[in-house]
Amino acid sequence: MLRYTLQRIIYMLITLFIIATLTFFLMKLLPGSPLKSQDKLTPEQITIINEKYGLNDPLPVQYVNYLGNLAQGDLGLSFQYDNRPVTEMIAGRIGPSAQLGLQALILGSIVGLILGIIAAIKHNTFFDYGATFLAVIGISIPSFVFAGFMQFVLGVKLQLLPVALWEGFSYTIMPTLALSGFVIANISRFMRTELLEVMASDYIMLAKAKGISQSGIIIKHAIRNALIPVITIIGPLAVNIMTGSLVIERIFAIPGLGEQFVKSISMNDYTVIMGTTIFYSALFIFIIFVVDILYGIVDPRIRLAGGRK
Amino acid sequence: MEQKQLENLSPDLFRPAAGKEDLEKIGRPSLSYWQDAWIRLKKNKGAIFGLIIVILITLLAIFAPVFSSHTYREQNLALSKLPPKIPVLEHVGFLGVDGKDKDGFDVYKAKNVKEYYWFGTDDLGRDQWVRVWQGTRISLLIAVAAALIDLFIGIIYGGVAGFYGGRTDNIMMRIIEILIGIPHLIIVILFILIFKPGVTSIILAMVITGWTGMARIVRGQILKMKEQEFVLASKTLGAANSRLIGKHLIPNVLGPIIVTTMFSVPGAIFTEAFLSFIGLGIAPPQASLGSLVNDGFRFIQTYPYQLIIPSIVISLLILSFNLLGDGLRDALDPKMRK
Amino acid sequence: MDKVLEVKDLHVSFDTYGGIVKAVRGVNFDLKKGETLAIVGESGSGKSVTSKALMRLIPNPPGRISKGEILFDGRDLTKLSEKEMQKVRGKEIAMIFQDPMTSLNPTMKIGSQIMESLIKHQNLSKSAARERALELLRLVGIPQPEVRINQYPHQFSGGMRQRVVVAVALSCNPKVLIADEPTTALDVTIQAQILELMKDLQNKIDTSIIFITHDLGVVANVADRVAVMYGGQIVETGTVDEIFYDPRHPYTWGLLASMPSLDTSVQTELAAIPGTPPDLMHPPKGDAFAPRSAYALEIDFEHEPPMFQISDTHFAKTWLLHENAPAVEPPKAVVDRRRSMSANFAKPRLVEEAVR
Repeated sequence: MLRYTLQRIIYMLITLFIIATLTFFLMKLLPGSPLKSQDKLTPEQITIINEKYGLNDPLPVQYVNYLGNLAQGDLGLSFQYDNRPVTEMIAGRIGPSAQLGLQALILGSIVGLILGIIAAIKHNTFFDYGATFLAVIGISIPSFVFAGFMQFVLGVKLQLLPVALWEGFSYTIMPTLALSGFVIANISRFMRTELLEVMASDYIMLAKAKGISQSGIIIKHAIRNALIPVITIIGPLAVNIMTGSLVIERIFAIPGLGEQFVKSISMNDYTVIMGTTIFYSALFIFIIFVVDILYGIVDPRIRLAGGRK
Repeated sequence: MEQKQLENLSPDLFRPAAGKEDLEKIGRPSLSYWQDAWIRLKKNKGAIFGLIIVILITLLAIFAPVFSSHTYREQNLALSKLPPKIPVLEHVGFLGVDGKDKDGFDVYKAKNVKEYYWFGTDDLGRDQWVRVWQGTRISLLIAVAAALIDLFIGIIYGGVAGFYGGRTDNIMMRIIEILIGIPHLIIVILFILIFKPGVTSIILAMVITGWTGMARIVRGQILKMKEQEFVLASKTLGAANSRLIGKHLIPNVLGPIIVTTMFSVPGAIFTEAFLSFIGLGIAPPQASLGSLVNDGFRFIQTYPYQLIIPSIVISLLILSFNLLGDGLRDALDPKMRK
Repeated sequence: MDKVLEVKDLHVSFDTYGGIVKAVRGVNFDLKKGETLAIVGESGSGKSVTSKALMRLIPNPPGRISKGEILFDGRDLTKLSEKEMQKVRGKEIAMIFQDPMTSLNPTMKIGSQIMESLIKHQNLSKSAARERALELLRLVGIPQPEVRINQYPHQFSGGMRQRVVVAVALSCNPKVLIADEPTTALDVTIQAQILELMKDLQNKIDTSIIFITHDLGVVANVADRVAVMYGGQIVETGTVDEIFYDPRHPYTWGLLASMPSLDTSVQTELAAIPGTPPDLMHPPKGDAFAPRSAYALEIDFEHEPPMFQISDTHFAKTWLLHENAPAVEPPKAVVDRRRSMSANFAKPRLVEEAVR
């Protein structure tokens, strides 16, 4: 397990380093200076700013400085928002995004697991077909379409829920649902397949031959084994929620990180784009890492051996 | 056995009769892999529904803009924001395609418009019917092109890694592992920021991250195939590596490849729409399904049809590809044969 | 000896897309206390399905016991509710499966898997069950049971895993143990160890064993009686000696002739049975083996043969035993081995229909 964890950590660091490097050089490739849009600046001011940001240094020097700052958690200053530190801007926006993401992930996982388990137990019944159909729909309808549909029906037509903004729990319901639809569909589909496969395995037959009841078999033997592979898709699904939040936060005008990121793209606020990108990437990679470790803890074959099969 | 009859059995019946039947005859008609797959696909109602809708939408995307008297970019501010009006269907009340706006006001009459705009017009008076199908065309073009390029790169990369194995494979797979660790959308966003939004840059951005999945599938299939006897047999007979790849391996890995491609198309349609939402999509006056949905959100309270129609088309398109992909996956998996 | 288990006219079928597969078509046999009955046949003969049917482990749908009785301790198992059946499984009748690599739960400790049925059937406390599990592990010859009990299946070799499966099966001292090809997936040396272990344990706890296998070599080693299955039916049954030294059914001949033995000289050619097993979706009219048999008679293609009795314990289902049938010479490998059986009747008797 220790070897496995170390291996994952090393991978994580390599990936982060590559992303940081890639982001840096891609940003340098961007056509024009980031200051171009602010015409009001005099050439002297530009020189001063360039000096201040170290933009006059040779590229390798800039790169090393950038990596050094990054290691200390310094993501630079925004060009558009009065030189506010990007770290501070991210910190100010992370709250709503985190709440939304967690709500969607928890809701999606619980509902998805329940649907998947029932569909597998009631295999080839009406409920199974219904759940399977819903899952295909859930996977196919993009979150923004689902969001638009809810906004129109629940917000505009029926006026049950606030159409947008972020002023209390009722404001979180529609965005949470919009983000969790895909999670529910994926988890229920995956859980159903895994559980059916496990239920057909020899060790379930042996458990039956021991005289264990059907419910005992499902709870003690089947679900645990079926859950292990399901854990692996939680990482990608969390990533999916985070990218989905870029769009959903914009649609519902939620003052979150995603909304700020989209805004910075349209305003060419390069340091904010760069900083947020790196922050997102680090978070993505960290989630995948946590899920990998979790997987190792749940599966004794990895916990005790140190490496997948 | 009927006990009483046993006494009356004719002694003639006890003559030897071995070899009366052909032992090695095969009980079932033999079907080729593809015939068998097609039969199974036909049985899957969802897949056939998906196939029909995909074909229908593709045909509309190709021909609707051609046969319309309007173009996707032609503006007529006098005729802006017309609600949809479709002949015959206009009499079916709940569909709401009767040319009246949400307050029941007949805009067509007020503006004295004789022509029917099936999907209405947008805020610049552009024909939505043409724009929706033009947008579908662009979305499909991006998605199919991205999927095909993924396929091409994936087969070559995965094929080389899987076939040569050993150290080559090891190094190639380490590279992929690191690439997979990088969040795709981040790369796509950075890429498009640099090369400016456009059909080509969007396709390329998707390919940069998309090919790895296909490469892994191809490699996995080839590794599996390599261990099978017929490949060994062919090798023993002195077949060249290139011949082995082309004649034996590729045909056998085709099933999973087709399925993966089928699923990567809806993924690409979604990604393109997503890019439109964060302001990195197709630039106006050109349209894509994503940009149409995105524009539609601006008028959700006043002209909801501008949001609803492209939303339905994009959902239906992704759904159909997914249903077809599911059906193909089940049909092309020979293990399922019963 | 008293019968522990009696199977009467058992039919099992599976509903598939293509039609109904009649996997078991009227099987009769009984099992006496302390004896080992081997059921032999090739893949698809219905031997595994029969064994699973005994424990009502046929997945339903698609499978079902369509007809027949399974009498155990005077109760018909086919009529028990699922709940009552759970009290029989593991406690009265236990089972060992073919592949030890897949028949243990990968995420559960070995100890818990053994303790599970002890806690369920014998109401043992956790600590008492643990003591008993340790004892069982020792019994099946697993070294260092105190360490092993806390390990997971992947830390065991195939042979060791099968020992664990045996321990699970024997934990509640079942009256009947069904072993479904328990050694097929193992190395030859390990096979012998497991067989030895089973024989040893049978003596200790006085269990009756139903041993399913396709390997006649294993049969000679462990069984008291043998039932040969073909096409979902038992075609011949008798004591080990009767089946090996005086077989009567052409299919049994085929099986024996295709088995090498130490006496087989280099020149003797092993005879394969031509053709493939019958399609049980459309079972052939008459004798299911006739199309593959070199000894088939005209009548085999018309009427299903009845059961003939050769001795008190020896039955065969073939027209060759009818008085009108021509005398035929079995394959050389069978003739070479043949011994005369003193207990045989003067002439094969037709079994009255009442048995069926």
